[in-house]
Amino acid sequence: MNKLITIALMIGFTSVYAGTNINGTVESRCTVNTDTSGYYGNPNAYTLTTLPASAGQVPVIRIDTSLANAYKAQISYPTSFSSSPSLGDTVVWTGTVAVDQTSSSDMSGYQAASTTADGGAMRIYPLSIAGATWFSVASVATYGGGQQKAFPGGSYTAVVIAECVAQ
Amino acid sequence: MCRSVILWVLLCSSVAAHEMTPTYPKWQTSMIDGVHKTTMEMFNKRQDVKWYEIGVFDKEWKAIPFVTSYKVIQLDYLNHVKFDVYITSNNKDKAEYICSLSKLRGNNNNKPMIASKICSRFK
Repeated sequence: MNKLITIALMIGFTSVYAGTNINGTVESRCTVNTDTSGYYGNPNAYTLTTLPASAGQVPVIRIDTSLANAYKAQISYPTSFSSSPSLGDTVVWTGTVAVDQTSSSDMSGYQAASTTADGGAMRIYPLSIAGATWFSVASVATYGGGQQKAFPGGSYTAVVIAECVAQ
Repeated sequence: MCRSVILWVLLCSSVAAHEMTPTYPKWQTSMIDGVHKTTMEMFNKRQDVKWYEIGVFDKEWKAIPFVTSYKVIQLDYLNHVKFDVYITSNNKDKAEYICSLSKLRGNNNNKPMIASKICSRFK
């Protein structure tokens, strides 16, 4: 009788421990990748441009998100040099931010759904689908405030800002 | 199969990346009265960046005072770091975003460099 009780208890305990749960969570995550750093071409004395036709290279940024609607991408083209020779005249900045590629065709509406801020220099994309999105950022700097003055000789650096902000 | 190929391509093409988690951190009580803390984790896969600046901001993107070991964290290529951020209780509810911003060095190649910034949000 005692043995039966013992076995019954063992079975009872066994059944308690038999169901082992494997738990997991999917955490949202954003990664900002600098796929192509880009550089300026100098097609004439008063222009610096990332356009390939002018020997420049357009920087490309890839943003990966693991969950839909968790982040928004905010990409800004430069509006000043982070380092340059001393400049006595005005630099006029123009640029564009565009969706270059996407990992899913469902993301094809990203460009149309984007909005701008900071006077148009920043473009905001709600990342409503999980996956990767490549953004290209074109930048043109013209010296002389419309007077087409030559840039002083030297090294020029400007910064593209790629932000991934939790929604 | 197609997804595996896409993932493989993505992993292989990750030239330089910056990552910070969690997306939605929570404030926890710390050992000091009136001070809350949260723990963040960052990963640096950018070979061109060694330093990241941490910032805490309100809804209007105004800076909020906080304390970490270092406000500018050195993070070598392919390294992870976990860091605690401390904030006073009266600022806890104002804090909306915690961000890490890559710090860039000047170079001599006429390059438009890319600054990466990731912001987590307190909900």
